[in-house]
Amino acid sequence: MMAFLRLLARNRLALVGGVMLSLVVLLALVTPLLPLAPPNVTATGDRFLPPFSEGALLGTDHLGRDLLSRLLWGTRLSLAVGFAAAIVAATLGAAIGIIAGFYGGRTDNVIMRGVDMLMAFPYILLALAIVAALGPGLFNALIAVAAVNVPFFARNIRGITVGIAHKEFVDAARLSGMSNARIILTEILPNVIPVIVIAMSTTIGWMILETAGLSFLGLGSQPPVADLGSMLGEARSALITNPHTSVVPGVMILIIVMSINLLGDGIRDALDPRLKSGALSRPMAATRVDRQGAVPAATGAGLLEVRGLETQFHVKDRVYRAVGGVDLAVKPGECLGIIGESGSGKSVTALSVMGLVASPPGIVTGGAAYYDGDDLIGAPYARLRAMRGRNVAYIFQDPQATLHPLYRVGDQLIEAMQVHQPVSNSAARAKALALLRDVRIPNAEQRLSDYPHEMSGGMRQRVGIAMALANDPEVIIADEPTTALDVTVQAQVLSLLDDLRRSRGLAIVFITHDFGVVAQLCDRVAVMYAGRIVEEGTTREILEMPRHPYTARLMACVPELGQGKRKLASIPGLPPVVDRLPPGCAFADRCPKAQPVCREGDIPLDGEGMRRVRCLFPETGLREVAE
Amino acid sequence: MGRYILRRLISAIPVLLGITVIVFAIMALIPGDPATAILGSYATPENVAKLNRDLGLDAPAWQRYFIWLGNMLTGDFGTSFSLNRPVLDEVLERFNGTLILAGTSFVLCSIFGVMAGVLSAANQYGWADRAITFAVLLGISIPSFFLGMMMILVFAVNLRWFPVSGMWPIYGDRDIWALIDHLTLPAIALAVVATGVIARLARSAMLEVLRQDFIRTARAKGVHERGVIWRHALRAAMVSIIPVLGIQAGFVLSGAVYIEIVFQWPGVGRMLVDAILTRDLLLVQGGVVFVAACYVLFNIVVDVAQSLLDPRIKT
Repeated sequence: MMAFLRLLARNRLALVGGVMLSLVVLLALVTPLLPLAPPNVTATGDRFLPPFSEGALLGTDHLGRDLLSRLLWGTRLSLAVGFAAAIVAATLGAAIGIIAGFYGGRTDNVIMRGVDMLMAFPYILLALAIVAALGPGLFNALIAVAAVNVPFFARNIRGITVGIAHKEFVDAARLSGMSNARIILTEILPNVIPVIVIAMSTTIGWMILETAGLSFLGLGSQPPVADLGSMLGEARSALITNPHTSVVPGVMILIIVMSINLLGDGIRDALDPRLKSGALSRPMAATRVDRQGAVPAATGAGLLEVRGLETQFHVKDRVYRAVGGVDLAVKPGECLGIIGESGSGKSVTALSVMGLVASPPGIVTGGAAYYDGDDLIGAPYARLRAMRGRNVAYIFQDPQATLHPLYRVGDQLIEAMQVHQPVSNSAARAKALALLRDVRIPNAEQRLSDYPHEMSGGMRQRVGIAMALANDPEVIIADEPTTALDVTVQAQVLSLLDDLRRSRGLAIVFITHDFGVVAQLCDRVAVMYAGRIVEEGTTREILEMPRHPYTARLMACVPELGQGKRKLASIPGLPPVVDRLPPGCAFADRCPKAQPVCREGDIPLDGEGMRRVRCLFPETGLREVAE
Repeated sequence: MGRYILRRLISAIPVLLGITVIVFAIMALIPGDPATAILGSYATPENVAKLNRDLGLDAPAWQRYFIWLGNMLTGDFGTSFSLNRPVLDEVLERFNGTLILAGTSFVLCSIFGVMAGVLSAANQYGWADRAITFAVLLGISIPSFFLGMMMILVFAVNLRWFPVSGMWPIYGDRDIWALIDHLTLPAIALAVVATGVIARLARSAMLEVLRQDFIRTARAKGVHERGVIWRHALRAAMVSIIPVLGIQAGFVLSGAVYIEIVFQWPGVGRMLVDAILTRDLLLVQGGVVFVAACYVLFNIVVDVAQSLLDPRIKT
């Protein structure tokens, strides 16, 4: 509770709302004690005194009554009625919702049908009908406003109750022989109350507005007593000649409702854990770049060359070093594999190249990514955009989520071309058709007008590949494109990529955690662990003789066909959390060969030419580990 | 598609029946009887009893309900005693005015609400976002009737840009320009609250969508940020915005009551308030049922729009 209040107080707007509302409520509470003129005594001689008159701070109304006094008494009444309506609606609605949700079945059905019927009414219309039946009057207006809001509470609370009624602790209570009434009171209600409070905090403002509205129409409080709404209603006839009589109560309603809304938003934010973590931040068009230190120069080692890349995630005051200084290069026609466990930073490395890391929270803090000698990391957005998909294209994992669900795949392909080249619709369509045929989608013609959800996973992945090829890029970065597919489809997709590489001279960066895939497709491999490359070399060198203990163990995890008797190995322990990287070798804690010296200082990626390893005690042969 | 619409129409029948039951039940709760209300409190008991018999009010409630329902189905909503004309004629005539007002407001709040929400989300935490968020907070906190009065004061009385009230000029042509002239202030006043609610929802729907994978795909293929926001994100966000537009249509339709009073607009809401104050219950009943039925039908339109927009919905 204290934590919640502290969280609420941290939200400055909510604090402002809370203070404003407390002031108004306090003022309303002490109104009877204040030395005010009687609110309902008329003095026709003093009609329409302007504000700041002698003895009438806010002036007087059309019957010469003191506006300040009427305002405070009216506020008192409006607040009381609004809160009362909220409490009545919340209580009744919660009771109905809990009963419907707890008992379920037919009870639920009948109740919810009724609630749906009530919700089919335009809100104020129903209130009008109720007031019409009961007759004008403030109490009747209260009933009407409360009644109209009951369905809203009933429906919300029912949803929550249904969720709770099937939890283990409720079953346990049932088995221990508790009566239904007791279960509802002791098990369900305490869990539902926070939801009721949230729902109240978001609707009470409406209820005060609605009661004021009914009074404004002359259907609420009756003369001479006035709440804020009827003060406004009475002042309307003098709007043009004496606007202050309207402005005074109107502004008060505005202040009350606004402070309640501010506070309500604050409560909702404080109780919604998603907002706390900042997860609802929208990613910007390109990853934020904030490079410290010198930018390493290009060496011309490849068409795409990554040098000393560092990417971090800043969440609150924590810094996750997802990529901690990675060097990569890939030549035309070459396929480079990046392999590692999930969380090793391989995807972030790939996404950093074109500024596609979600930002916030991602920031590129160092290094460079050269495309044909041009640094992409520091490139302005317009240039980056023009190169995305045109020069460097991506294929993502899980095509279910990566294709737009509401556009036909043909249109998505056509769009990919038209954002880069001025092609006519028909030409783009012909090209899209050819692309679908290139990736061997049967019935390509009809498939063009399919939506993604109408295709199988393999087909969608082919569309993803076709989209990457749409502008004949020079580099393709494929981020686990086959992980979500079954084995036969996976093999087809791989051979397709391999063909394309050979026929078009594509440079491919292929990210995976699967050595089998690497063996099929890649010329060279880089193994990543905790945001850094720990070993690299040609595919054959790595597969035949892994030198880093991590690589060796990772390969030992791969089961081989026909060798079922071998004990399936796994690497003990977990990869380190990248916001608390140990000094020295990040793998030391899981490494059977680790020595104290491994934990002491930075270990360089060492070796001859392209065969390098980041280890002080490299493996000497594969067999040693496997046995 | 045709089948889907038909199915939705059929499923609306129980809702419409439910509405008539609720309205009838509320009216049946009324203390005292309509005959006394019509004849006044000085009427003789014999006359009251006779009128009750003539009006069919001595029958049991369920019989009266079916008679009322049957009459309504044949287009006979009864006769308003205070206006002395058929309820349906009056309601239809007044509904025309409400439809012009609420329809315009609905278009305004849909367009501006969605645009404000998108701009807000696209510039999250930027100055545009802050300004829009603040405006939205004001918009959803201000009572529409107070806003209407202030607009009259500023734009009609002081600046003289628009007429003070009414739907048509007293003298002069009743052409479209005269209508727009009279419509502008009330339509805006009515739209403000709904615009705020829609903008809020559109903002959070957009923020939700903008984090999804297909947005990253769009960026990766080189779509401009404008296209990412308006073509990719908004299209997906509309799926959750459209139902809220449907709900807001209900608020605009019934919130028109206040605006019609403030601006002396000849609409169904003002008619209802007058009918309540004169206790002309048949007029209230007929008006409420008619407007609620229109709202139910409008919601079917919303559902159909939704299914057109989202191919994943089975039709």
